[in-house]
Amino acid sequence: MALSETSWVMLLLLAVFLVALCLGKRQAETGRIPDLRSIPAFNKLQDAMARAIETGRALHVSLGTAGIADGLTADSLAGLTVLEDLAKQSAATGVSPIVTMADPTLWPGAQAVMRRAYQGDPEGEAGPPRDVRWLAPQPAAYAAGVMGILGAEDVEANVMVGAFGDEYLLMGEAAKRHCSSHIGAASDPSVLPFVYVTADEMLMGEEMYAAGAYLSSKPWHIGSLLAQDVLRWIIVLAIVGLVVVNTVF
Amino acid sequence: MISRIAPVVVAITAGLLVLADFFIDAAVVDALGLYLIRTASVVTAFALILGLTNVATVHFRKIVNRDKSWGYSVVLLGALAFTLTAGVLTGGPGSALMRRVFDSVLFPLEATIFSLLAFFLVAAVYRAFRVKSFESGLFVVFGIIVLLGQMPVGAVLWDQLPLIKDWVLDVPALAGMRGILLGVGLGTAATGMRVLMGIDRPYAE
Repeated sequence: MALSETSWVMLLLLAVFLVALCLGKRQAETGRIPDLRSIPAFNKLQDAMARAIETGRALHVSLGTAGIADGLTADSLAGLTVLEDLAKQSAATGVSPIVTMADPTLWPGAQAVMRRAYQGDPEGEAGPPRDVRWLAPQPAAYAAGVMGILGAEDVEANVMVGAFGDEYLLMGEAAKRHCSSHIGAASDPSVLPFVYVTADEMLMGEEMYAAGAYLSSKPWHIGSLLAQDVLRWIIVLAIVGLVVVNTVF
Repeated sequence: MISRIAPVVVAITAGLLVLADFFIDAAVVDALGLYLIRTASVVTAFALILGLTNVATVHFRKIVNRDKSWGYSVVLLGALAFTLTAGVLTGGPGSALMRRVFDSVLFPLEATIFSLLAFFLVAAVYRAFRVKSFESGLFVVFGIIVLLGQMPVGAVLWDQLPLIKDWVLDVPALAGMRGILLGVGLGTAATGMRVLMGIDRPYAE
């Protein structure tokens, strides 16, 4: 039952994180919201939706190849947060995005996000969300499905937020050819070059987890950004301190 | 009311138990954690049935509405019906017929799609190597150094080139990658914490 040294350190960091999260949330609620640095991809996201509404063409949202019960769940949840914002706009205007994913465990989550947004539509103009599609579990087959949608379904803008591997490039290039705007996000450093060369604007690494704070200004999400910064400083200072200690002694 | 609260309670309890299993080395907690992880696998299998229903519905609707390229939907539904029936009748994915379907159709198709990556990569590199800003200039310079350093001709041109390439990959590239991974780790922890506390509820209606 005894905890190892590593477990104690992790528990301590967890406790610090929790305290920072709660303090950050309280700070955000009292209106003392810190200046968040500008991330152009989030502004572009709003533009992409607006253009899709204006032109009457579709908006495609890819939630990636991970699900909600694996090691990349956080990436999938980041995709759902972005979808939540887009779905609210789509519910108000009646332009429903085409949402795709490769892992079927993500499908009920995406469907729930769309349904919640449409239930909250006071005017009731928008129809039921019907375009949440599970394409295929294999990354290559999923990429082929997305390339087909981008080529055949008159898509104005493409948004890709989630976990991706090398197949990102196939979809990114198709988006570059067929869509007037393309926003990409990835957390895997080996995929980021593909995002850089294909997307008009990109979310790099941890930026994609900040969607809730930037798009909806949710207090808990702003609080978690502050908590991340606190923990980052602790880790940086620990690294520098340990390097100094190791060098001197 | 209960339908709203119950999923949150179940999700938080399950999450806390699995987290406790990570920290505490006790037989009961280990068994509970393992049980919950196995249950998740079973639930994942049920999600496949949901996904399958979704695929069939989307393509059936395309055929009924005579949407653009509805013919492909006919092929897809035909292939789906054949694979499903053959799989059930011949004894599952391990049967000789199903192995043949996978080996002769699915795997070659996947390999074909991934082989396209080489051509897409050339197009992407061509676009990336256009200098539009200071950052893209740096991208091009380091890209050329690494590219030449990887090839035997690089060492022939200048024997220091492979060493510079190694330095680029081991020092600035690795440092940048670790910075990104540190941020991703913190972002993942923050997301996990919000789900554990019931703040983010992707499972709720």
